[in-house]
Amino acid sequence: MTERARAEQELAEQPLELILARNLISIVSLPAVLVDVNTRIVFFNEAASEQIGAPFEEIGVLEPDEWSARYGPLDADGNPLPSDGLPLATAVRESRPAYGRYFFRTESGMREVEAGALPLTGPAGYHGAIIVFWPVPADEAR
Amino acid sequence: MRIRFWGVRGSIPAPGPNTTVVGGNTPCVQVTGEDGTELILDAGSGIRELHASDVGHAKRIHILLTHLHLDHIHGLLFFRPLFDPEAEVTVWGPPGRASLRSRLARFLSSPLSPVEIRDLPANVAFKDAPSSSWRLGELEVRASLIAHRGPTLGYRIAEAGATLSYLPDHEPGLGTSLSSAPSNWISGLALARAATALIHDSQYSDSEYAFRRGWGHSSLSDALAFARRSGPKALFMFHHDPGHDDGQLQSLAHQATDDAARLGVEGEVQLAREGETFDL
Repeated sequence: MTERARAEQELAEQPLELILARNLISIVSLPAVLVDVNTRIVFFNEAASEQIGAPFEEIGVLEPDEWSARYGPLDADGNPLPSDGLPLATAVRESRPAYGRYFFRTESGMREVEAGALPLTGPAGYHGAIIVFWPVPADEAR
Repeated sequence: MRIRFWGVRGSIPAPGPNTTVVGGNTPCVQVTGEDGTELILDAGSGIRELHASDVGHAKRIHILLTHLHLDHIHGLLFFRPLFDPEAEVTVWGPPGRASLRSRLARFLSSPLSPVEIRDLPANVAFKDAPSSSWRLGELEVRASLIAHRGPTLGYRIAEAGATLSYLPDHEPGLGTSLSSAPSNWISGLALARAATALIHDSQYSDSEYAFRRGWGHSSLSDALAFARRSGPKALFMFHHDPGHDDGQLQSLAHQATDDAARLGVEGEVQLAREGETFDL
């Protein structure tokens, strides 16, 4: 490996806040997604993969435009929601957990979920966020 | 650079006849650069002997704390240069919500201490370790947060092509598999990658670790797995459990050598011993 390649690899190491968050969500059964400082989806857990329809190992890292085109979030009519009103955007902007309710697209059709976003802010600043979500019960669905 | 171990024990000093070979003092490692720049990694009880009888010690010293657990700071008030009005000592540590000085003052004040920080005769500065690398003399230093309980840094110190990585309190295997996790998702790996020497936590035997998971320290197997992924030329097993006497540590060292060969760890594996000096 060249020095340059090694340096690039070192630069790519995730901050500890994200590493520990990934370790945590990988062992909980609540569907959870991890996004980095650039709003890329860098991991989702097994429970989330059951909702999404495919494991993370198969899908890999997703850029924001990739995951919004593929999954949403969407309104009840299937229209994309403006990103600045989503829990993640609120969490990042206001440095607080935020909550929302929206639809996303799965292989088996539209699914309504409630979601909460938790910003991961450490001594060096904002690093990303955990988004947990759970299906809206059928009797409460819009 | 020259490295000397002044304390290699974890958690609490372990003096006595059963620890004379490996040593009983808590973490303190002296790093001296080619230009004489002096760094002291952690201020465990081992720091007491450092410069204890040396009237000609360096007047400018940097103490790099990995974190503020007692075993890494309880030697501070016994470090002679702090009582020398001509000495300039800079203490670096992990960033936090409060200043490093005020966090250390909780320990260095009444009722826990007879001497307050403000009473120290030396010129002492307290600084948060920056998030990007910085230079201390000819030594290039990099610090990153690593997996332990509470904000904890690992350090990587480089000079003239040689690199020392110091991760004395580290549990990178918590909640993940060190053999299969992607490299950029392993705590501390960038700090340790291809180091000339890696000083790494290996406090517990594998059977002990089963009952201490989440305490912030590594099993021997995890230390070796981390070394296999990071590829140092030499691994120094460090932060020895205070309950391990010389005989038990020798047994662990033999096991480490055997396991390292089986796991494909390419570098040399050895116990860090108090008083040992080596050059990189």
